[in-house]
Amino acid sequence: MSASDQLRRILHLIPLFADGESHPVSALAGMVGADRDVILQDLLSISERFEVPGGFVEGLQIFLEADEVSIVPNHFLRPMRLTRSELLALELGLTMLRGERPPEEHRAIAGAIVRLDQAVARLPKEEIADDVRVAALSPSADLEHLRRLREAFRDRRKVRLTYRKADASAASHRVICPYGIVFASGNWYAVAHCESSEGIRIFRLDRVEDVESLDARFESPRGFSLDAVIGDGKAFQSSSAGTLKVRYSPRIARWIAEREGKPLADDGSLTLEHPLADIDWAVRHVLQYGSDATVLEPAEVREAVVGRLAEITGS
Amino acid sequence: MKSPKLQRWLDLLAALLRRHYPVTFDELIPDVPAYAAPGQKAESRRRTFERDKDELRAFGVPIETVPGPDPEVKAYQLRVRDFYLPYLTLRTERPGRPRKIDRYGYQSLPSLAFEPDELAAVAAAATRVRQLGDPLLAEHAESAMRKLACDLPVDAAGRDEPDTRLVPPRARASSELMVLLDGALRARKRVTFRYRSMGSGADGAREAEPFGLFYLNQHWYLAARARGETTVKNYRLSRIADARVNPGRPGTPDYEIPAGFDLRSHAKSRQAWELGAGDAVVATVHFRSRTGAAAAAHRLGEEVPGHPDRRHFRVRRSDAFARWLLSFGGDLVPIAPGELVDDYRGLVRETLDHHQHPSAFAP
Repeated sequence: MSASDQLRRILHLIPLFADGESHPVSALAGMVGADRDVILQDLLSISERFEVPGGFVEGLQIFLEADEVSIVPNHFLRPMRLTRSELLALELGLTMLRGERPPEEHRAIAGAIVRLDQAVARLPKEEIADDVRVAALSPSADLEHLRRLREAFRDRRKVRLTYRKADASAASHRVICPYGIVFASGNWYAVAHCESSEGIRIFRLDRVEDVESLDARFESPRGFSLDAVIGDGKAFQSSSAGTLKVRYSPRIARWIAEREGKPLADDGSLTLEHPLADIDWAVRHVLQYGSDATVLEPAEVREAVVGRLAEITGS
Repeated sequence: MKSPKLQRWLDLLAALLRRHYPVTFDELIPDVPAYAAPGQKAESRRRTFERDKDELRAFGVPIETVPGPDPEVKAYQLRVRDFYLPYLTLRTERPGRPRKIDRYGYQSLPSLAFEPDELAAVAAAATRVRQLGDPLLAEHAESAMRKLACDLPVDAAGRDEPDTRLVPPRARASSELMVLLDGALRARKRVTFRYRSMGSGADGAREAEPFGLFYLNQHWYLAARARGETTVKNYRLSRIADARVNPGRPGTPDYEIPAGFDLRSHAKSRQAWELGAGDAVVATVHFRSRTGAAAAAHRLGEEVPGHPDRRHFRVRRSDAFARWLLSFGGDLVPIAPGELVDDYRGLVRETLDHHQHPSAFAP
């Protein structure tokens, strides 16, 4: 436990509880998101004083009784201004949001940055810490579509989606209830109940052509878990009709093993089973690896891959 | 258990805040029992104060050093309005007045008004930062939100119900590693570590000078320069093991980050075919259909005037680009330059041959 962490917690606590009244230690702990014992330790560490010189005026008095504490401060009645690190952390999040939000929301984001900047503690110039962190998500979706879906999710409104499936050259229309919006494996997805197919479907936002918010509302079904749908580290569709089994050659297997969290075989290759919901997805998945992927099952996918390649060769 | 340092810090802060003018170290001594304790050498007492002042500044406390009454003696000042958070309000149709503290010094603190959508953006930003998996960043964002929550309804602004989520990857960076690299970055100290190279599959020892940490598409990377080299390389944190910070010459930087280095542009998202040191070649691609996958790819390229079904792409790695094109199953085909077209056709033939005779390749 560093003195900096303790100071941060103490400076948070005092403005909240500095009324001279007794407060349960657990209430203090809850307010600063720390464990009760940690807070108790913080308070003890500054409430025991020895060898105080004559005439010394306490800046802060703390009285601990059983499980109650009262604080009588002469200072620290307001929180400290934002530190440079706190500002940088929030700025990082705001910068990410700017990449995810449509232009009409940029004014609020820019305003928030200005406001936070006015609340920061200015250090002497030479002490200013560097910005050593950057974060971004790939802009793989139309930001206006993303905004409308976020609003529909927040308001629990159904939307009419114009969506072009990966293998379809024409878009289709469907009414969906957006249960969640997630960023996974480099793409934005809407996890939704689709009224046309009467089931949970996952829609990649870079294939969405329009989002129309409807008046009709929905409620997420009891027991619905977004975690159960998006799975372990990537978005996938659980209502699979079969299994695609692919062997990846040692040349590329390490990358896929890392991504999937699977061990390599002794020869350095990797064999994986994927839920197979549609053949076209399987063909495109296999083709991206060229001759480094081999379809082991089902034969139907292998034939589709060969057929597609033959078409390309003949074209 | 008492914490002498924390007590010293609080005493020093109180001593500075209760004066509204610069004060010398000698004037501060009676207000900080640890400095006033008998039996200390003057240099030792001074060193303790200097360390406390530097550590409080590193924490973010804006203690100023100003000329003292005697030109040989420095004075120190911590202005109340520079230390305490302004009174925060929300600009609404019926704006409330900030609840000011009726004590000397607190009444004069400034007020700062947030628009409701600005506060909502801050709350969403804090949520996004928490989702990144960096414990220090999350702690700093959370600490900031607690301060704002003293005056503002941050929970009502949507802090607790994010409308979007980041799904973390399976291979994540460890919290301990992020904390260690953060310390190395700020102190400009070299780090040594083992790195699992995906090209060879082998672990290799590295010694690097950290320039920054960046999060790109759900992975954290260290941007760092190998000792004696000029190229800044990226190391995925989940592939780093046994990292150590150079313990030599503590408090003295091992290196400097060049003034021209811009982490934001260095960390810009790129496709696999855009990576590499060579010159980019402009490839022309014909879009033979507008499936959902092809339509999404269409947005990545640049316009070819007069040809809406063609796009230009800047390519550094022809092999990666050919594979990406192949994943569209013939919906995207390259038409220029000739070398790329040949590479693509060769890949198609090789892949077809492989899938027609898979037994030759399978185990």
